[in-house]
Formats: sequence, structure tokens, C-alpha cells
Amino acid sequence: MHAARNTSLCTKDCVCLFVCPTGATDTETGQIDFTKCLDGCRLCVDACPSHAIYLVPSVYPAPQEKSEAVRKSLFALAKSKAGQERLARSLSEASDDPIFKQLMNAVATSNRVLAEDCYREAGYILPQSEAVQLWLHNLLSEHEKDEDFPSDAVKTLLEKL
Amino acid sequence: MEDDMRQMTAEELGALCTNLQKACTKQLRNEEASLFGTLAAYYDKQRTIEKAQDLKTLLAAINTDLSNGFAEASNAAEESNDRGTKRALVWGEKASKLLKALMIRYEKQGSALLENTNIWVCEICGFVYVGDIPPSVCPICKVPSFKIHPIQKEAV
Repeated sequence: MHAARNTSLCTKDCVCLFVCPTGATDTETGQIDFTKCLDGCRLCVDACPSHAIYLVPSVYPAPQEKSEAVRKSLFALAKSKAGQERLARSLSEASDDPIFKQLMNAVATSNRVLAEDCYREAGYILPQSEAVQLWLHNLLSEHEKDEDFPSDAVKTLLEKL
Repeated sequence: MEDDMRQMTAEELGALCTNLQKACTKQLRNEEASLFGTLAAYYDKQRTIEKAQDLKTLLAAINTDLSNGFAEASNAAEESNDRGTKRALVWGEKASKLLKALMIRYEKQGSALLENTNIWVCEICGFVYVGDIPPSVCPICKVPSFKIHPIQKEAV
């Protein structure tokens, strides 16, 4: 577990610079240097007067089990929301009225968020989960002969997750 | 792979990717987030355009969700005592009702709806809002307003 800074809470009191034994908190980006941070040390987390530093877990538990009925109905709902995203995008692209385009882009954006949430609750919440890994593996074999498919990105994901 | 994963459209796969991209960002895994972004961009390119559609089709789809989709999923969630799914359905149903109201307002008011104001979408729950400034917390998911973003008018 390494420390991370919530820059919208940080009030630049810099106590983290005083207590960090490795200098990981002193960076020009505003974020902590994760490569220098000591696993689970948390000195800066406890010292920060504005509660702007927290620990990011490196290991996560398996997500909650989902019943087949829940999974099926959420996939159906996601399909409907994704279909509405497509419809709104199509209507936006076919129109040259800036206000109608703006409205349809908002509808498309909202539907994307709604579909994402369905997948999250259908068992695809954690990138490191078995379900996601299995899906990525299957994508690779499915697109073996597809030159446009970003196979390298998927392979790197499988290595890193 | 499960059957429902094989039959997914480009938009569905795109949404699955952007969901995982957001999850990686929350874990501060920027490289993985950007790789899911690459995959999402691939599916964006695969999208097909539906010609000769109108607002009525969109409204009909929202109405089907409101009359069937949410109820079916709620029953399934109730049966397996799945509070996380219930949470998503409560938020999603509220956002869908607002989308429906927005379509109906547009049908009545036309461009006047957005002429001198803006439209906003909450990145967490999909809440849509028409007005100059969004509420300080999202009325659906209670996230602070910095996660509620304006959708700009495009130059045509």
C-alpha cells in the first residue's frame, strides 16, 4: 500500500515533507512518488493536518458474488442504455442544430454512465478480478486476425493487472 | 465466455471499458487506465450510426426501461438481497426519469430549452441538469458538484 495525495484537499502545510523518510512526498507534480513510497508506512497519512493523504491498496478482495438473474437483468438494462447512447449519438451526428446536438450529446453521455454502472454491479467492478481477466483473454483470441484491434494494449493490461 | 458477453455491441463493450478505465483511475493506475482508454477508443470507432431515427424512438426506449427493465432487475436484486444492485437501479431509474422529462420538455419548448443556459451530466450517476450552475451536490448520488460536468455546444 502506497500513499497518495488528494490535491483538492491539500493545504500545502508540507508536514508530509518533514515526516517522509524517503522524500517520496516532495515532487513537482503534486502527487507522491509511488516508486519511493514505503509499503504501508503511513507516517504522512497520520501527520497531514488537512487529511489530504490516504493509502492506496495494492491487493483487493474478490468482488461480491452476483446471481445469474441479477447479472442477466443488468446486462439487458446495459444493452438498452448503450442502445440509447447509440441513438442519441446518431441523432446528434445527423443534425446541424447546435442546441439539439448539445442535448443529444448530454443524453448519450448520461446513458454511457448508466451502462457503466450496470456492468459494475453485474460483476465487472474490479479491473483485477477474474471475470475481467477472462474477458480480456477471450477478446485476444477472438480478435487474433483483426489488425485494427489493440492486442498489445490488452496483453499489457493482462500483465499489469 | 458467457453468452451475454459474446453478443455485445460496440457501445456495450465501450461502456464496459470506460467503466474499468474509471476504476483504474480511482486506484491511481494511470497506465492501465490509459490502456482501457485505448480499447474503448477502438470500440468507439466500431460504432454504427442509426439512420432515420427520431426522438420518439429514444423516448420509447426510456419508457421500456421504466416500465420493464428496472422492475425486472429490481426483482432479481430483491431475490438475492443484492443491495449494491438495488443502489444502481434506484439511481439509474431516477436518472432515466429525468432523461424522459427532458425529452418531453424539448418536444414542447424546442431550442428555447437550452438557448441561454447550459446542460450538465453527473459523471457518477448520469444525472442530467439544465441550468446555469449545477446543484452543489448531485441530488441523485450526492457527489459534490465538481463531478457534474457541462456539455458544451459544438461549433457546427
